[in-house]
Amino acid sequence: MTPYDAIVIGGGHNGLTNAAYLAKAGKKVLVLERRHVLGGAAVTEEIYPGFKYSVCSYVVSLLRPEVIRELELPKYDLEIIPLDSTFSPLPDGNYLVRWGDHAKTRREIARHSTSDAEAYEQFGQLMIKIAMAIKPMLALTPPRPTSLNPRDLFGLFSVGNHFRKLGGNLLYDLTKLMTMSSADYLDEWFETEVLKATMSASGIIGTFMGPRSPGTAYVLLHHYMGELDGSFRSWGFARGGMGTISRVIADAARHFGAEIRTESAVDRVLVKNGRAYGVILASGEEIQGKIIVSGLDPKRTFLQMIDTRHLPAEFVRQVKNFKIRGSSGKVNLALDALPNFTSLPGNGPHLCGAISISPSIDYIERAYDDAKYGEYSRRPYLDIILPSTLDPSMAPPGKHVMSIFVQYAPFHLKGSAWPDQRESFGDNVIDTLTEYAPNLKEIILHRQVITPWDLEHEFGLTEGNIFQGELTLDQLFFLRPVPGWAQYRTPIKSLYMCGAGTHPGGGVMAASGRLAALEILKDWKMRRL
Amino acid sequence: MRTYDAIIIGAGHNGLVTAAYLARAGKKVLVVERRSISGGIVATEEIFPAFKYNACVHLCGSFSRAIAEDLQLGSQGLEMIDLEPLLFAPSPDGGSLLIPRHPASIAEEIGRFSKTDAEKFESFCALIRKLTAFLHALNGISLPDRASHANFKLSELIKLGWKLRRLGKNDMHEFLRIMPMSIADLVSEWFETELLKAALAASGVRATSVGPRAQGTSLVFLHHQLGDSNGAFQRSGFVLGGVGNLAQAIARAARQYGAEIQTGSEVVRIVTKNGSAAGVVLSTGEEITATSVVSNADVKRTFLSLVEPTYLDPHFLLQVRNIKSRASVAKVNLALDAPPHFKSPARHGSSNPHRGVIHIGPTLDALERAADDAKYGRFSRAPWLEITIPSAVDPSLAPAGKHVMSVWMQYAPYKLRGSGWDQEREALGDLVVSTIENYAPGFTNSILHRQVLTPLDLERIYGLTGGHIYHAELTLDQAFFMRPVPGWARYRTPIKKLYLCGSDTHPAGGVTGLPGYYAAREILQEWRRNK
Repeated sequence: MTPYDAIVIGGGHNGLTNAAYLAKAGKKVLVLERRHVLGGAAVTEEIYPGFKYSVCSYVVSLLRPEVIRELELPKYDLEIIPLDSTFSPLPDGNYLVRWGDHAKTRREIARHSTSDAEAYEQFGQLMIKIAMAIKPMLALTPPRPTSLNPRDLFGLFSVGNHFRKLGGNLLYDLTKLMTMSSADYLDEWFETEVLKATMSASGIIGTFMGPRSPGTAYVLLHHYMGELDGSFRSWGFARGGMGTISRVIADAARHFGAEIRTESAVDRVLVKNGRAYGVILASGEEIQGKIIVSGLDPKRTFLQMIDTRHLPAEFVRQVKNFKIRGSSGKVNLALDALPNFTSLPGNGPHLCGAISISPSIDYIERAYDDAKYGEYSRRPYLDIILPSTLDPSMAPPGKHVMSIFVQYAPFHLKGSAWPDQRESFGDNVIDTLTEYAPNLKEIILHRQVITPWDLEHEFGLTEGNIFQGELTLDQLFFLRPVPGWAQYRTPIKSLYMCGAGTHPGGGVMAASGRLAALEILKDWKMRRL
Repeated sequence: MRTYDAIIIGAGHNGLVTAAYLARAGKKVLVVERRSISGGIVATEEIFPAFKYNACVHLCGSFSRAIAEDLQLGSQGLEMIDLEPLLFAPSPDGGSLLIPRHPASIAEEIGRFSKTDAEKFESFCALIRKLTAFLHALNGISLPDRASHANFKLSELIKLGWKLRRLGKNDMHEFLRIMPMSIADLVSEWFETELLKAALAASGVRATSVGPRAQGTSLVFLHHQLGDSNGAFQRSGFVLGGVGNLAQAIARAARQYGAEIQTGSEVVRIVTKNGSAAGVVLSTGEEITATSVVSNADVKRTFLSLVEPTYLDPHFLLQVRNIKSRASVAKVNLALDAPPHFKSPARHGSSNPHRGVIHIGPTLDALERAADDAKYGRFSRAPWLEITIPSAVDPSLAPAGKHVMSVWMQYAPYKLRGSGWDQEREALGDLVVSTIENYAPGFTNSILHRQVLTPLDLERIYGLTGGHIYHAELTLDQAFFMRPVPGWARYRTPIKKLYLCGSDTHPAGGVTGLPGYYAAREILQEWRRNK
């Protein structure tokens, strides 16, 4: 059997994207996925008969347009349905809804504060400007600041020049966004607690930080960076669940000739003389490839799949220091009917968007405080969607599925273990939400609780971190995953990384997979391989 | 009407440094100080008869050696005293960590807790020393600002680039990675001993309103290793005669160069003519004219109360209002009948823990929880305390056999939720005393007098807006070219001939003297250019 040109470990959306690009360039590619279903954390599974859960990841916003275009994903039946609103119920019976429609949002915010309604417009305009400025960074392999290689020097110059051209004011605003806490940043603009809290909540998703932690403000940009059908700041839901995104990328990869095997867990990467030349599966089967690409997180790749004696000690130390604290869990529900919120009763468009339990900055900050000391939040921040209101095929007629993203849930519980705490964690989430939607408990048909421990054991995400590594300033751009190795290459020749642990990081973007493929193909062309 | 080349508002240590340098360059300089003594928060005051308190600042180890030598402060009577030991950190269970002065003994002491920590300590210090040396060089370059768009000096940049490269690839990466990190993450990468980690992390949260898990606290840590540090802890900090003597020595130097210092005079207004500063008006009504005015007051005070707002761009004013100056420090000063007896210090042999910095805050979580309280508008129920007993090294500060103790307490927010400092002042004092009592039984009975300075008092007495000891927090978004406000990092302001030289200008507080020095450098350069 002729060896493969490339073996991609892990059939997550980045691994599949990487495989598709390599196959498109004519390489013989094999993707190996441990689970029975492709997609990693972007999967749809029918856990309870008739009800389809987007088990982990539940919304899409930053899926790179160039990936959609270059892999011709619409051909394979990809449809993204925009989430039109964010509904934040309050314990006192009031609420705030932000709609896709500007005028409507403005009127709604004005109900709480007229000056905030005014500021919201200006804020949006500034965010869009900054988002435009930062967006090119998502499609760029980070240059190495310490290198004298002409390519890196040119890259540094381009990045420097790009930001210089933005002009003083935008640069200062960008610096503030990158370094401030979302609470401080929003305090400069707004006064309405629930508005600030709901906005800041998007800054803490997937991080082990609170809204008052410096470094959380820049994620506010994400809301203004999404590019679905060319319209800004839209979050969307893929018809058929998040698994659809993985499926269409896999279809594209297969179309270009890639081979994909599920239920094929890789046990070890084979290394000889500083070169990776194949993998051994858990079944004992050995498969050879000219290059190996890992879609797994850096810790799993280098500390579990490879004998560390093949790696420089400094590199191993850096990988060990890579911060990958998980902070979130999921509760997926099958519902007999729609939830009825006290503050906005009955069925309505507010149930077709995101529902955010984030009444105040203090509420979310206290949720974080619990997690810092090894407990899950007594009153967590919840980000909820009801996919079946957008796509009826997700549940039997008249019934619904609900996806609840829960933060904070630390990976290490003090004095306890997740398998013992899973159900009480689930109960706590249901109790929290019942305070806003009292009929919830009566309509639950089935419940799936996913803790950070499950994310690690079932989905292979070390410490349950959904971004394969925290998105903090010291782990971004040319520092991601570790300083000096931000170009998808590794100290082992012919071993590459393509997961969310590399630049630009988490979210269903497929950017890492694509950029890694471009670097690999460059090496191929330069005959380094 | 009196006329000067420069009037400096406020005789804090930075204002005095600026005055000294301007006067040395032959300028006619007047320093106007509201209080009856100069020094600002670097003051030693006899609050209780015969007991001299380092009322506010109590350690000066980060003061720039270069400035001290350049102004020959030694001959003006400045004598810094070495810390020996560097640090004593008791834990609630009666144990304690002592960091001796001698490098070889440090490893031995840490080794009692962890062999690996002891082995790594010197490498950690060496790395931090390298990174702070680079930070020092970085602080020294003139940052671009609005008045001089992107005007980096090319020669400075090349020098800086060369220094960065000389760090080597790994250390250069480490600098870029560590600067925005949280101090909790940084020390946890290196060490396992909680007491050691907490003692190190403390200088990462000094005068900030955040806990050790907040990003950017590693920069604060590096900042506090400027000056006389071994890379982990300051090696000196006491001043003979009290820290106030540092300010007095600078004042004497300034006077010797010809500067006038007028205390007991409050500036109520900065006079502007055609968009340029032209002088000041005192509370007595006297107007003094000057070619330039330099404000050592904080930026908020300068622009929100000393300058007519009509002369200012509203966006600039908004930026000034947005400066984060959330106080976090309270001071408790005590006169003691006898030195405190900490549980089990006897083991440390001849080393007297009273002669170093005493750190109370046993774990990273303890520091973090202390900061948590402040987030919700309370002072910490279990605070971080940094204690010094200057009379243990300098008996002249208290009557024979008696002592003065200075306690730096964090966190104390400026705004208390549902209460005010005038009601809570003594409660804070009681909390500090009972916290120390837990570590040193019998301590309470030795107290002869107590002074509690809450953030509100610091504002009232020393004129610090919001009670912030560094004028403005040192955080990533308020550092380098973002300090004090984005685009005005070069000590200049939208009002021509009005300059800033306080702690909220680059490179920030901590009694380094550097803001004052760099401000003088910038002002003199501009004068030369305009000639």
